[in-house]
Amino acid sequence: MLKVRDLNVYYGGIHAIRGIDIDVNKGEIVTIIGSNGAGKSSMLNAISGIVKYQGQIEYEGKALPQVAHKVVQSGICQVPEGRVIFANLTVHENLKMGAYLRNDTKAINEDFGKVYDLFPRLKEREKQIAGTLSGGEQQMLAMGRGLMSSPELILLDEPSLGLAPLLINTIFEIIKEIKSMGKTILLVEQNAFKALSVADEAYVLEQGVITAKGKAADLIKDPKIQEAYLGKK
Amino acid sequence: MNVFLQQLINGLSLGSVYALMAVGYSLVYSILNFSNFAHGGVIMLGAYFGLYAMTLLPLPLLGGLIVAALCCGLVAVTLEKIAYSPLRRRNAPSLYFIISAMGASIFLENIVVATIGPTFKTYPTVFEKTAIQIADISVNKIDLMMFVIAAISLLILVFILGKTKIGLAIRASSYSSRGATLMGVNVDRVIFVIFMIGGVMAGFAGMLFGMRYTVYPQIGIITNKSFIAAVFGGLGSLPGAVIGSILLGVIETFAASSVSNYRDLIAFVLLILVLVIKPSGLMGKVVEDKA
Repeated sequence: MLKVRDLNVYYGGIHAIRGIDIDVNKGEIVTIIGSNGAGKSSMLNAISGIVKYQGQIEYEGKALPQVAHKVVQSGICQVPEGRVIFANLTVHENLKMGAYLRNDTKAINEDFGKVYDLFPRLKEREKQIAGTLSGGEQQMLAMGRGLMSSPELILLDEPSLGLAPLLINTIFEIIKEIKSMGKTILLVEQNAFKALSVADEAYVLEQGVITAKGKAADLIKDPKIQEAYLGKK
Repeated sequence: MNVFLQQLINGLSLGSVYALMAVGYSLVYSILNFSNFAHGGVIMLGAYFGLYAMTLLPLPLLGGLIVAALCCGLVAVTLEKIAYSPLRRRNAPSLYFIISAMGASIFLENIVVATIGPTFKTYPTVFEKTAIQIADISVNKIDLMMFVIAAISLLILVFILGKTKIGLAIRASSYSSRGATLMGVNVDRVIFVIFMIGGVMAGFAGMLFGMRYTVYPQIGIITNKSFIAAVFGGLGSLPGAVIGSILLGVIETFAASSVSNYRDLIAFVLLILVLVIKPSGLMGKVVEDKA
């Protein structure tokens, strides 16, 4: 579904992503784990077209345009790190923004229903200004907003960031539910254990280079990964 | 009492034109985070566009307003393409935008001085009888027209922002243009639209102002007052810009009727007072996300 080949991202003189290859198959959860500054967000932003890159990104067999709104149009939506919700708009308006490029009113209304089923908290707070939501609710809103674009592929950037452990569990349950809705997910996480336990395939990104890849179920048992990312000796 | 009402009406009409101007400052500030000082130049051009549409073509009042609005919209959009768009592509800090805006403002003023000349010009008479008498209060027809046109334009703007898709995109981009981009919003288009709206309103404002007073190349200076009004109400907040403008218009009119020499002094003292007490202005942004 998504094929990334020899991807390079530069910020001025800094070579943040150094020629990485990634494959995402339809219906899977693929995770990229790695520490702070490894280049995880840069990679997602390159796919989303908000960071300039060199290399090929192919989506459904076609080259992906390097323009952000055309990427969304193609069916890829990013739920960014730090949520980036519209704090000045209501919850409902935030979700409406997710459906910005769609004109099919009937299908949009159905998706409102689906998102509110998935996140009943958002339904309760429909008319509330999004800036007044708690951190966990804002994460749910960001994910719901992403779903409103009716994407085939969802790029999730650090959904667990800054959330309490119980909420993190809820968020990962929801990620599994989104997968069961038939969506494909590319998940970037620092919480390696959680990410590996929901993912099908996994990559380890270190300083802009892929240092390991494989089935998530295998990587979670790999002694080197356990030591570096799962805190086991 | 009648004097009071009379001044209130004058103040409201002056304030509503300030509001037409202030909205342009606020819209641009809310998305691009800089004060577009070239806006005054666009308003000044509006006064000239309207004047020539009514004298050279010659069009009736309504035709003049439409020509002024469209031409100013076009100028504002072109200005954005030439003066700001290259800076945006390079992610320049807002200081550079402000300097570019000041340059554009000086350019517009001087091109008018060089081509049309620095002399004062006046609009042809539109209304035979200038005032309407209601009981003891006489209302200047131009003042009334200023108020009505400003009110209609502002209501249309409220509708666009509140009820349309592009309006939602404008409000979303004003909070986070990166977030809006990720939702598929073409932010270039949003910026085009806000400059168009600001320009159209500048056209109305410039023409109305020119009709009420006179037309000259430095007329853009009075827009400093509308900028003050926008800051006063909370820069970036549209209701703030409108309320700030109306208040400024009313206060100025009352000041002028009692201590006329202090009219501008009062406006600036007021601005400083508000900023000392509430730096974000009367209705400045207070929401934040918890990320």
